[in-house]
Amino acid sequence: MTDTVQGAPEDRDAAATDQRASGSIGLVGRILRSLEIRMLGLALLLAVILSLLSPFFLTERNIFNILDQSVVIGIVAVGMTFVILTGGIDLSVGAVFGLTGIILAQALQVMPIPLAIPAAVATGAGIGLFSGLLIAVFGLAPFVVTLGVMAIGRSLSFILSGQRSISGLPPELDAIVYSTFLGIPANVLFLLGLYLLAWVYLTYTKGGRTIYAIGSNKEAARAAGLSTMFYSILPYVVAGALSAVAVTFSLAQIMSADPLAGNQMELDAIAAVVIGGASLYGGRGSIIGTLLGVLIMVMIRNGLNLMGVSPFWQGTAIGSIIIIALLAERLINWRSNRN
Amino acid sequence: MLDTHRDSRAAPLLDAQGVSKSFGSTQALVDAALTLRPGEIVGLLGANGAGKSTLSRIVSGHIQPSGGEVRFRDAPLRLTSTRDALRRGIALVAQETSLAPDMSVLENIFLPDLATPGRLSYGGMRVRAREILSELGHDHALPLDAEVRTLSAAQRQLVEIAKALALDAQLIIFDEPTASLSTTEVNLLFDVMSRLRDGGRALAFVSHRLEEVFAITDRVTILREGRVVAEDVKTSSLSQGDIIQHMVGRDIGAIYAKREVASDDIGDRIFEVRHLRALPWVGDISFSVRRGEILGLGGLVGAGRSEAAEAIWGLRPRQGGEILVGGKPAKLRQPADAVRAGLGFVAEDRRAQNIIPDLSVRENLMVAQMGQHRGFGRGYGKRADRVARLISDLGLPADRLDTSLLNYSGGMQQKIIIARWLLTEPDILIMDEPTKGVDIGTRSSIYRMLQAAADDGLAVIVISSDFEELLGLAERVVVISDGVTIADLPADRLDEEKLTLLAAPRTSTARNQALLADLSRLHRADAFWTLLDDDGLICLAHAGHPDAPKSGLAAGEAMDFSQTMIEQALRTREPSFVAEPDGSRQTLLVQMTDKRGHDMGWIGLTIAGDAVPPDPGDIRVELQALTDETKEP
Repeated sequence: MTDTVQGAPEDRDAAATDQRASGSIGLVGRILRSLEIRMLGLALLLAVILSLLSPFFLTERNIFNILDQSVVIGIVAVGMTFVILTGGIDLSVGAVFGLTGIILAQALQVMPIPLAIPAAVATGAGIGLFSGLLIAVFGLAPFVVTLGVMAIGRSLSFILSGQRSISGLPPELDAIVYSTFLGIPANVLFLLGLYLLAWVYLTYTKGGRTIYAIGSNKEAARAAGLSTMFYSILPYVVAGALSAVAVTFSLAQIMSADPLAGNQMELDAIAAVVIGGASLYGGRGSIIGTLLGVLIMVMIRNGLNLMGVSPFWQGTAIGSIIIIALLAERLINWRSNRN
Repeated sequence: MLDTHRDSRAAPLLDAQGVSKSFGSTQALVDAALTLRPGEIVGLLGANGAGKSTLSRIVSGHIQPSGGEVRFRDAPLRLTSTRDALRRGIALVAQETSLAPDMSVLENIFLPDLATPGRLSYGGMRVRAREILSELGHDHALPLDAEVRTLSAAQRQLVEIAKALALDAQLIIFDEPTASLSTTEVNLLFDVMSRLRDGGRALAFVSHRLEEVFAITDRVTILREGRVVAEDVKTSSLSQGDIIQHMVGRDIGAIYAKREVASDDIGDRIFEVRHLRALPWVGDISFSVRRGEILGLGGLVGAGRSEAAEAIWGLRPRQGGEILVGGKPAKLRQPADAVRAGLGFVAEDRRAQNIIPDLSVRENLMVAQMGQHRGFGRGYGKRADRVARLISDLGLPADRLDTSLLNYSGGMQQKIIIARWLLTEPDILIMDEPTKGVDIGTRSSIYRMLQAAADDGLAVIVISSDFEELLGLAERVVVISDGVTIADLPADRLDEEKLTLLAAPRTSTARNQALLADLSRLHRADAFWTLLDDDGLICLAHAGHPDAPKSGLAAGEAMDFSQTMIEQALRTREPSFVAEPDGSRQTLLVQMTDKRGHDMGWIGLTIAGDAVPPDPGDIRVELQALTDETKEP
C-alpha cells in the first residue's frame, strides 16, 4: 500500500515534466537536439559548398592537406576544451607553444630526441601547473593568470632564443610527421588517437565527469565529495603539456623554431572549442564538437586559399562562423525551452 | 467588528473568475478564481505548480492573463505592468524581496517616488515613513538610514510592506512570506497582517504551511493543476485533512506517520560532535547520534545549525572541536574525507549546493558514489542492483534518466539527491531542511524515505526550521541557539511552543538569566525557569546558590517530577512556598505569561526548609513587571 502512495504523485510529476521537456519531439528531433550532429551537419554543408566553389577542394590530396593542417591547432584545442569545460580559460597556450618550441629546439642540440621531447612536454606541463595552482588554490581569475603567463612565456621565448629562429634540427625528427601507417600520416593518426583518448577520458572516467561537474556547479561537485581541487588544476597541466606536444609536430614539419610561433593561437583554439558548442561558463561541450570546430576552421581557411581569396578575409569568415554558430544555438535553445 | 458580522461582508475589492494562462504549450492556469474583500485575509493554497504564484503575478501585474475576467473595484482590470498595479493600489510582497540592497531603508520605502521627476523632500519622506511604520506597530524596529543589505530577512519584508503602504496599497498579496522567517518573526508578521486587515485592507496569503493558514486566514481558495477546487471557503469550516485532500486531489493520510522505534533498534553511538567551533556562526555545538536514530537539530534560522553541518562536512573552516565516527576521531578536512568516513550530506540550498545542472539525472544520482569510488573509471557499475532498486523506488522511468534534473519538481529533485547519498551506503546521513521547496504531496514520501533509512540502521540527522516537521520526524532534538547547544531532549517531551521558547536567541533570554541570578543571590535560593507538564518538566535556565539546597533542575534538561528534589511543589503549584514532605526545602512557583497571554513557563525559587520565606506577592510583582518590560522594544 505504501508503495502505491509513494509512487503515484511522482509518476504524474515525472510525466508532466517530461511532456514539458520533450513532449512532441520524435526521433528526428532527438537527433537534431544533439549538438555534435548539428556541428557535423554544418561541417558537411561547408564541405559541399566549398567543393562546389573549388574543384580542388574534394581531392584526396587536399583532404590530407586539411587533416595535416588540423593537427597542430587540433592538439592545442584538446587542452583548451578541458580548461573551458571547467569554466576556465587559458590564454597562455600560444605563448607556451612558442616557448616550449624554443626549449625543444635548444634541447635537441644537446640531447637525443627521446629525451628532448619529454623535456619540452614536461616544461609545458609545469607552466600549466603553475597557472592551475594560482587559479585553484588562490582563487585567482583564470583570464588574468593566463594573461600574465602569456606575457611571461612570450618574453622568455624571445630571451632564450636571442630573438632569432633556431634551425639545424636533427633530420630524423620529421619521422613523426612523414611516416605513414596504412597510408595515413603519423601526425593525423596521432591527432585522431588523441581525440579518441580525450573522448574516453571525458566520458567514461571519474576525472572526466568531475571536470564537467566542476564547470557546471563547483560547489555542488565539492559537496558531493569530488576532488574539485585536483581536477581544477589538471586541465591547465593538460593544456600546457599539449601545447608542447603540438609544437613538436610543428617543428618536425618546418624544421625550425621561431620565438613568435603560436602567436594568437589561443584565439584559434578558443574559437574551435566555441564553434564546437562548448559553453564558456563551463559544464557544457564535447571533445567531438571541438574536433568538428577545428575542421570547420581549417576548411574555411583552406577553401578561401584554394579560391585565391586574400588571407585577410579569413578572419572575417571565421568570426562570422563563430557568431552564426552561437546565434543558432541560442535560437534553438529558446525554441526548445518554449516547447 | 468584522468578525461578528461575517454575513454582511464587504463588496469584493478584487474578483477574478475563469482566469487562464499558458506559457507556450504549458497551461499554468486553466480556470482559476480569486475573490478578495476589504477586511479579510484569504489564503491562496495549492501544491507546487498548482498555479498560485502565477495567479498572484497576474493580479499584481507581473504577467497578463490569457483569458478570464479580473474585476477591481467593480470595473474590469487590465494591468500592463507592476507599476500600473501599484498605481491602482495593488502590491505583491514576494519571498525574494525586490529591494535595492545598497540603498537605505528610507530610500527603499519610497523607491517608486524616486522615479518621479522633481526634488524629493527627505524630511517629508522621513515623517511619512515613521507614520507607516507606526501603523505597522514597528516604529522603532527599523532604522531608516540603515542599508537594506544589513537587515534580516524579516526586516526586509517589513520594508517591502512599508513600500506597499507608501503607495497606499489597498490590496496586498503576500507570496510565501514566511519561507525564510523564524517562528518569532512569523508571529510578528502575522501581527502586522492582522493590523492591515483590521485597517480595512484586502490581503491574500500564499503559503503551503497549513498551520499558518489556520493561524491567519479568514477564508481560503485552493488551486490544483491550474483550476480552482475550493473557492472562498471559510477557513474554520475546514480541517487540515480537507485542505490537503483538496490540494493533492486525494487523501494522503497523516503527513507524519510516527515511526515505531523499539529501543533495541537503536544501536551504538556512531557519530559524535564535541565542542564544534566554526566562527562566527558556530560557538560550541555538541551532539551525538546512534544507529537507527533520527536526531533533529532545532533552532531558528541563523542559529548556526546549517553552518555546523557545513563545518562538519569540511565546507567551512573549523577552529576547534572533535568529530568521532564510530567512536574514533575522524579528520574531516574536505567533503571527500567525510564521504569516505561514511557520511552523507544533503545541503540546504538544493540548486546551489546539490544539483549539478549539466549532468543528467543518472549522473546526479551517481555522483557521490563516483567520488567515493577509488579508481580511474566512474564506478557506475558498482552496486548496480542497488541503483536499479533505488530508481524504481523513486518511480523514475529508466528512459528519463538522461534528461536534465532541472525539469523535475522540487520534491523529485530532493528525492534524487537523498538517493545520491543512500547509494554510497553511508552510516550517517545529514539532511538540512529536507522539505524546503517541496510540495505537501511529496513531503510525506521524503519522510518515509528518511524513516526507512533509519530503519535500515542509518543514523539520520535532520536540520529543520519547521518545528512541526522536526518533532514529527525526530526521536530526539538537540536545540541550538546562537551557535551553542542549549538542550538535548526526547521529541515526545516537546511541542512547538516549548521548542520555540528553548530556541529563543540568547540575547532575548539574557534578561531572564540575569533575573534568576538576582533572585538567587537576594533570597539565597536555587532559582530556575522551567516549562511544566503534568508530570514532566523542561528546565530553560537555572541559577544555583551555595547556601541553597538543590532543586535538582539543570538548564536544557528534561526530567520527570519524581527525578527532582521538589516533586511536591511541582505537583501542587500553590501560590505560596510549598515545603517538601521531608522538610528539607521549600519552593515557590510563579507562572509567567506574555502580553498576548502565551504561556512563558514558570519561575521557581527553592530555599532551605528552615529559611524564612520572602513574601510571594512581592516576587510575583517583580516578575510580572519584568515580563511586561521585555515585550516593549
